[in-house]
Amino acid sequence: MEKKGVTRRQFLKYAGATAALLGLSESLIPQIAQALEELSSGKPPVLWIQGQNCTGCSVSFLNTNYPMAAEIVLDKLSVRYHPTVMAAAGDKAFGVLEETAKELAGKYVLVVEGPVPTAEGGEYCTFGLEKETVSFNGYQRRKDKPMTAWMEELVPGAAAVVALGNCASFGGIPAANASVTGTKAVQEIVKEIAKDKPVINIGGCPAHPDWFVGTVLDYLINKRVPELDRHNRPKMFFGKLIHENCERRAAFDAGLFLEDWNDDNPDMKLCLFKLGCKGPVTYADCPTRRWNSGVNWCVGANAPCHGCAEPSFYKDLSPLYEPLPEVHFAGLTPMVDTLGWIGAAATAVGIGAHYLYKQLGKKEPEGGES
Amino acid sequence: MAQLISIDPVTRIEGHLRIDVEVENGVVKDAWSSGTMFRGIEMLLKGKHPFDAQQVTERICGVCPLVHGTAASYNLDDALGVELPDNARIIRNLCLGANFIQSHILHFYHLAALDYVDVTAVAKYTGNDPALAALRDKIAALAKAGDVYPFLPRYESDDYVSDPELAAILVNHYVQALEMRKKAQEMLSIFYGRMPSFVGTVPGGVTVHPTVSNIAAFRARLNELRVWIDNVYIQDILTVAGVSAYAPFLTAGDSGGNYLAYGGFDQDSKGAEKFLPRGFITGNNVAAVGELDEDKITESVKYSWYKDEGDWLHPREGMTEPDVHKEGAYSFLKAPRYDGKPMEVGPMARMLVLAGLELSGKRKEKKLMPLIEKLGLASAVDACVQAGKFGILPRHAMRALECKLLADEMDKWLDELKPGEKIWDKKDIPGEAYGRGMVEGPRGALGHWIHIKNKVIDNYQCIVPTTWNAAPRDKNGNRGPIETALIGLPVPDPENPINVVRCVRSFDPCLACAIHVIHPEHNGVKEFRVV
Repeated sequence: MEKKGVTRRQFLKYAGATAALLGLSESLIPQIAQALEELSSGKPPVLWIQGQNCTGCSVSFLNTNYPMAAEIVLDKLSVRYHPTVMAAAGDKAFGVLEETAKELAGKYVLVVEGPVPTAEGGEYCTFGLEKETVSFNGYQRRKDKPMTAWMEELVPGAAAVVALGNCASFGGIPAANASVTGTKAVQEIVKEIAKDKPVINIGGCPAHPDWFVGTVLDYLINKRVPELDRHNRPKMFFGKLIHENCERRAAFDAGLFLEDWNDDNPDMKLCLFKLGCKGPVTYADCPTRRWNSGVNWCVGANAPCHGCAEPSFYKDLSPLYEPLPEVHFAGLTPMVDTLGWIGAAATAVGIGAHYLYKQLGKKEPEGGES
Repeated sequence: MAQLISIDPVTRIEGHLRIDVEVENGVVKDAWSSGTMFRGIEMLLKGKHPFDAQQVTERICGVCPLVHGTAASYNLDDALGVELPDNARIIRNLCLGANFIQSHILHFYHLAALDYVDVTAVAKYTGNDPALAALRDKIAALAKAGDVYPFLPRYESDDYVSDPELAAILVNHYVQALEMRKKAQEMLSIFYGRMPSFVGTVPGGVTVHPTVSNIAAFRARLNELRVWIDNVYIQDILTVAGVSAYAPFLTAGDSGGNYLAYGGFDQDSKGAEKFLPRGFITGNNVAAVGELDEDKITESVKYSWYKDEGDWLHPREGMTEPDVHKEGAYSFLKAPRYDGKPMEVGPMARMLVLAGLELSGKRKEKKLMPLIEKLGLASAVDACVQAGKFGILPRHAMRALECKLLADEMDKWLDELKPGEKIWDKKDIPGEAYGRGMVEGPRGALGHWIHIKNKVIDNYQCIVPTTWNAAPRDKNGNRGPIETALIGLPVPDPENPINVVRCVRSFDPCLACAIHVIHPEHNGVKEFRVV
């Protein structure tokens, strides 16, 4: 351990941060420290590839605090391939993918950011080069290698696959154009290649750094995939509705809604339901975890939750700034103004979500229920 | 004998970029820039509520969601006839500025620095600075364990900064910079909720009121960043620029002498006065800044994977139908041109336009030239002007100077916020309207265009900075700016084309932004093929 340049004290520090991140008791710190110590003897290799992505989840990852990005990249994991940070380019870069797939089969974690387009032989997303050549301005140059080919090569040897962000997990915005690019979510592709390979979906557009880092650390410490919902999302982060823990829930229950952004009520922040808040149908822990070192979150900025952690984001949650359809509870008038009273009367928020989905004419999400 | 070198992926940029260079006698003779990923973002806006554009287009890019969201807001403001309240204008400027700071720091330290600094040299550090010694021990331990990812492998070169002390200082700053850019993101999440994928700007204004406490929270982080920009970022730029081996990069990597800026950071409600001015320069004639005529913007698709019918149209009438089998095409990027010319956009374009206006006396209050003088860079700028070439190093330096100018100015903008006053101008969505939002992002000029029909989006189009910079050839055979900049660069070892990636990265390419497609004329989604 010492030869890795890491001390016992550092392990305890990391363990404390990890416990805080995962919401675990401090009494577990010694056990976590021991697990992290054991890990240090062979840092898990990580291959982080990008499909039809926007790099938002990578940028979000850099905002991690517990532990910080430099510590994760240098001390916790062996990040062999990450196109946005690695020093290598060209064949030196994709060579790492090929070597790792061969030499460390069964051992590496494959992180995929962005979904995978399959139309036109995968030509809508390529990186790295094949062995075959094509003619190009009078030369023979090596052919572009599609993302689909990389998935074929890298999925079989992966210990686990992490689909990072809503695009990778559920197709996201690129999948709305699936008729052209044939975009598929990572789990669909993995199922075709290796049916039983575990896929963990970390939703969110972008994924919160804690959701990703916490899931990876939990996986490494406990040596098992964390408990997942029916969308394969870790329940520890996606187990509760935004609405359930929202700091403006009292305003919702009282039927006090914001309709003009110039209204500033210093006594009670008004509920954003009428401006389109999707918090009542979105499973994520944003209200308690918040974003950017806990500085703020969407509702904290007086803006509605757009439901970016839901499989139905964006297409089925549009229009984003229009309220969810009126709710019909048995025997009650379906007025949005009375919705707060209805919410207050409902015994469980989960019931409210169920009715909202029913009214949206959509299938209720299969997982994430409280 | 000439040979072709293909670099794919060009890493440490945003997105999927392939660069092919033809090298003869150790020098780049020709170059091709190819964007190799395609999504379809504007397409899904068709038929949607116009307000959705801000949230959807910011998902074009996770590095610069701020800029797309801001451009979309201005685009909608234009279409709706909004009179933007001062508070909203200033908060938009502050948050856009915060994103410039985080993006510029990220670019220099995390995307570019590893092309200049030998991380492995840190292991030989012998000084007594505890932070550097700790860094040395860490790097040495990683090296001993044979696990120096992601710093190795890399293109090898004998001109990396390899003095152990200097390398240790720079690598230490690389780690510090991770925390500083994080602070810049925290700063803008104070007003905008979170980053990436922020929520705080909407058509007509912003969602958060300025208060004594959020202004103070913003200023505290800004002050910390300003100290760091002055003492670390600017100093590191001067240090790297002073390495004698890099002297040729002062002029090597010139993109052809044409620069374009839409201008940004409105100083009044009409946007007539902008902190970063608009204008264009041709033929490296910096002192002659031209007035922008938006109608002269067109896009060519001759060498892009789109059907030729859409060639050479203004974005308002532009059309795009993908054709991945098109003969001779080599990129998903189109080739935007201004008055038929390829244009470099970004910090260097903005700073040269600003310098030109200051030098010609058209800009009364001088900020950039005094800063250049103060930092002792005047002779270097003169050398570039004499040569008629601005290369790789000026591109990095201008980015840092811009970062400082903005950070200093933002402190003043905070003073102009008025708690308690309006933040939003509520307007109804018209039955039919056109709009356009033109702003500056960290990577350069960004334009969004909208056509609203029957109160929903009928057409939405973006021309983004990297489409300008990383464009392929146009119908007249003109190369894009990056393609031009590569020509003439020395590549002594074809196995290690380090200078090629140094040059490409100096433009800070962002490919997710750059590949976009639209079809404004056809209504059927089936006929639509969009990124």
